[in-house]
Amino acid sequence: MFADPGFWIVQLLNGLQFSMLLFLLSVGLTVIFGLMNFVNLAHGSLYALGAFVGWSWVNVSGSYWLAFFLAPVCVAAVGALLYVTLIDRMRAAGPLNQVLVTFGLIFVFLDVFRYFWGDFTLGVDKPALLAGGFEIAGQIYPAYRLFIIALGLLVLAGLWVVLERTNVGATIRAGVDNSEMASCLGINVEKVFFIVFCVGCALAGLAGVVAAPLFSVSPGMGIELLIPTLIVVVIGGLGSLKGAIAGSLLVGMLQTFGQVLAPQLASMLVYLLLAATLIMRPQGLFPARA
Amino acid sequence: MLRLDGLRLVLAIVLFAGGCGYAFTSDFFGKELLAEIAIFAILAMSLDFLAGFAGMVSLGHAAFYGAGAYIYALLSIWQDWGAPMAMLAATLFCGGAGWVIGAVTSRTQGIFFIMATLAFGQMAYVYVFENRAIGGDDGMSGVPRLDLSGIGIDLNDPSIFACFLVVMAGLVFVLFVWLLRSGFGRALVGMHRNEARMRALGLPLIRYKAAAFAVAGAVAGFAGTLGAQHSMFVSPDYLHWTNSGLVLVIVILGGLESLIGPALGAAVVIALKHEISTHTEHWAFFVGLFLIVAVLAGGKGLYGLLASVRDWAAAKRQPGGGDA
Repeated sequence: MFADPGFWIVQLLNGLQFSMLLFLLSVGLTVIFGLMNFVNLAHGSLYALGAFVGWSWVNVSGSYWLAFFLAPVCVAAVGALLYVTLIDRMRAAGPLNQVLVTFGLIFVFLDVFRYFWGDFTLGVDKPALLAGGFEIAGQIYPAYRLFIIALGLLVLAGLWVVLERTNVGATIRAGVDNSEMASCLGINVEKVFFIVFCVGCALAGLAGVVAAPLFSVSPGMGIELLIPTLIVVVIGGLGSLKGAIAGSLLVGMLQTFGQVLAPQLASMLVYLLLAATLIMRPQGLFPARA
Repeated sequence: MLRLDGLRLVLAIVLFAGGCGYAFTSDFFGKELLAEIAIFAILAMSLDFLAGFAGMVSLGHAAFYGAGAYIYALLSIWQDWGAPMAMLAATLFCGGAGWVIGAVTSRTQGIFFIMATLAFGQMAYVYVFENRAIGGDDGMSGVPRLDLSGIGIDLNDPSIFACFLVVMAGLVFVLFVWLLRSGFGRALVGMHRNEARMRALGLPLIRYKAAAFAVAGAVAGFAGTLGAQHSMFVSPDYLHWTNSGLVLVIVILGGLESLIGPALGAAVVIALKHEISTHTEHWAFFVGLFLIVAVLAGGKGLYGLLASVRDWAAAKRQPGGGDA
């Protein structure tokens, strides 16, 4: 099995696919932190919300693609509502209070999911267009997983262009660097905060609706993926796009290859990586503010 | 420094006497509830020592609780160690583990510290969850209780066991009062208030932080040995990070940096949780909402509320002298 190049390619693709899912989740979380110093433990719940809303849209309309576009919009709307009611006034409250309030939000979301969608797992069918597979090095690889990889790379490229090559991106980077100075220079930092928060939520929702056909949709799915996402963010360094990419790839690959090569150690490895990072580089690999 | 003022003393006595009294007057369900409250009170006091007084907000406390429970269970089931020796060994192990983890995580601050403790806690959870040799996700049952029949105490009686746990919580309270009033405790509080100044005074910060973490870990592990004896069953759920979150919630709602507040918080939150869950299966929704509202309202928890009532009453008694 190990001598077969097809095996390694498939595992590499699996790792890449998981990395991209982690990237979609962690990039929102990390930029929100970098910009607003805000820790949102409920980010995983927004991911689950994306999956549930996606499931409902699929059931109502029968079209996965409608859900694909509408679920992130719905999640962003919920994010906007959260921002106005809660997040905005928690920004100056310090990490402890932020952790507590968003921890409370996790519980609230958990029961909202149970109330509206029931306490069991739901399935979403893959879109017909991507139901098949491609033959790669003698192995059939599902097209849907390739689609996730492509989508992740697309989002990555899009974010990179926006952040590094446009005025909007420069505004956001200025806000991350020094929000007081940025606002002195006439940038409406509050507006930037709000938009970035909504985009981060939309990406979490996108991750949810994309993950729905792959994993089952259940109320606890957000809590499950929250911890790996936080680990990605801490390893990569809070607030940086580069860090989110590096962290997602490291965690995604380590988890995937660990599961194949050393199943006993697989889940421990990620935590060991985190511990090692914290000891050697407490600020993460690519901190936004060095 | 912790002042053992009137309010703290009165609260401690009321909680202790109330707990002991309730252990013998309530129905079976009430006794189970009381036992859970006493265990969470111990956990919450140890987290308050760490987070409130020493300023190290840990989100990995459940790992020590679970480690204590598992080590007690393993030693008493497999190795046939007597319960006292197993409890001692589990407590000491958790203290040692706390020292190491504290020394590593103390290099980070603020949200990084919270994340680091969360990660170490989850690491322990995953290890236990996936280790089939110690039961994996099924856990282990048949955990024995301490045998005090030699001095005429039968801990298998629910009333007596609940009362025993309340006494243990009382002893932990006394231990922390003593620690916080010692030079060690004062150094920790000083470090929390002004780290730069304590460093300038020559305090080895990392060593003190690691020691604080070791004490909190040992007490949480001790609570774990009691928890395992209470339910006579251990499972990976003991270590899950949502439990760490729950303990932190109890500390905050009870009143950070008040020591007795978290014990009161344990009584209120655990009772509330059970009360709500008898009326609706969606108790998590209301607990979450309650937490959000409580944090938004600011304030210093239940203890802070009682303290301001006391000050207000004192000011009213003494016209002109508002500063009581």
